[in-house]
Amino acid sequence: MEEMILKLKQEIIEVLNLEDVKPEDIDNDAPLFGEGLGLDSIDALELIVLMEKNYGIKLQDPAKGKEIFKSVNVMADYIQKNRTK
Amino acid sequence: MQEKIKVLSAKQISVQKPLCEEWMDSPEACSGQYARALDPDFRQFISAGESRRLGKLLKRALATSLSALADGGIANPDAIVTGTGFGSIENTELFLDALVRDGEQMLKPTQFMQSTHNTASSLIGINTVSHGYNSTYSQKGLSFDSALYDAWLQFRLGRIGNALVGAHDEMSPVFSTFMRKAGHVKDGETCSEAAVSVLLEAGGERPAMCTLEDLKIVNRPTSGELEEIMSGYDPDAVMTGRSGNAENDSWYSFLRSDVPQLAYKPLFGVSFSSSALGFYASACCLKAGRIPSVLNGGNGDIACRKGILVVNVVEGRHHSFALLKPVCGR
Repeated sequence: MEEMILKLKQEIIEVLNLEDVKPEDIDNDAPLFGEGLGLDSIDALELIVLMEKNYGIKLQDPAKGKEIFKSVNVMADYIQKNRTK
Repeated sequence: MQEKIKVLSAKQISVQKPLCEEWMDSPEACSGQYARALDPDFRQFISAGESRRLGKLLKRALATSLSALADGGIANPDAIVTGTGFGSIENTELFLDALVRDGEQMLKPTQFMQSTHNTASSLIGINTVSHGYNSTYSQKGLSFDSALYDAWLQFRLGRIGNALVGAHDEMSPVFSTFMRKAGHVKDGETCSEAAVSVLLEAGGERPAMCTLEDLKIVNRPTSGELEEIMSGYDPDAVMTGRSGNAENDSWYSFLRSDVPQLAYKPLFGVSFSSSALGFYASACCLKAGRIPSVLNGGNGDIACRKGILVVNVVEGRHHSFALLKPVCGR
């Protein structure tokens, strides 16, 4: 799981172009939106694309994103359980 | 009587050192098939958080705009008018690559948003909290001239008191080869990038670089019409788009041979926004009171007293004329 979390953090940094952020700067349990990383709705769309492209997870209900993108830990757990590639 | 239109400030990011006029005496070499612009440290203009979604073109547009506004002493311009040939072409290229590679199901929203041509003008409007006139012109090599002409008309109609006019084009290595194949960049020319912002004001007491006395855009003029247009001007020199390419340079053969003809393209390269660099370079010369030797084929400086006529000819058909004059009493 740790390897998965590190990979996911690297992917988030790359896809959201977080130039000054390193994987170790992202707290596994900190909220990705609002406080924490301070991401916004466009970032949510980027993360939906990331999950589909890299893990084959097609989010049918975008409203679910609020729960899935709560933190890196929650996101990684959801990916582990639902990935098709 | 209509107020004179003054050029308060002008800033560039190009193959020359950015946001300064070092090129007048110590130019960087501009050669080869393709040359990228030299970027400033963008963090002095935008935070890392704000800039993470912005491509090069948008960062450059913001940097030249904020710098010109700061220099000119205007925070929120009445109008923002922008010219761009291709807009954020690098993002467009990434977006199209993804479209081909991944299909239409997994496209990145940021690249899609930046694929529109009017992103630069709107970003400047949002960043400077300017809710006035905001427009973008995409007319190949006449984009800046068209944007400037729009601002000129808005001034003449009394609708605005000041305007930020810019031209911004970036160029990827792949797209530079397309530019050459399509004939927009010719043999002997360096395909490059340009971001220029110019702040204009009608009247007022603010110090200025020069005044914009006249502006014309003429399509397919006859030789008689060109002769008549030129007879109305008596500048120190003409800033031409001569590049060293025979076909391109032949478009300027109507110019009087007894008036010095300057060339900015060998210094800055060629892009759809390069005519803005001709305008910018002319304003810098008038501010300095001299035309540096680098614009004059190395034949020595020229004193600048009467003004500079900036002439841009696109595809041998579209002609623009901008007459810049020194500020009176300086």
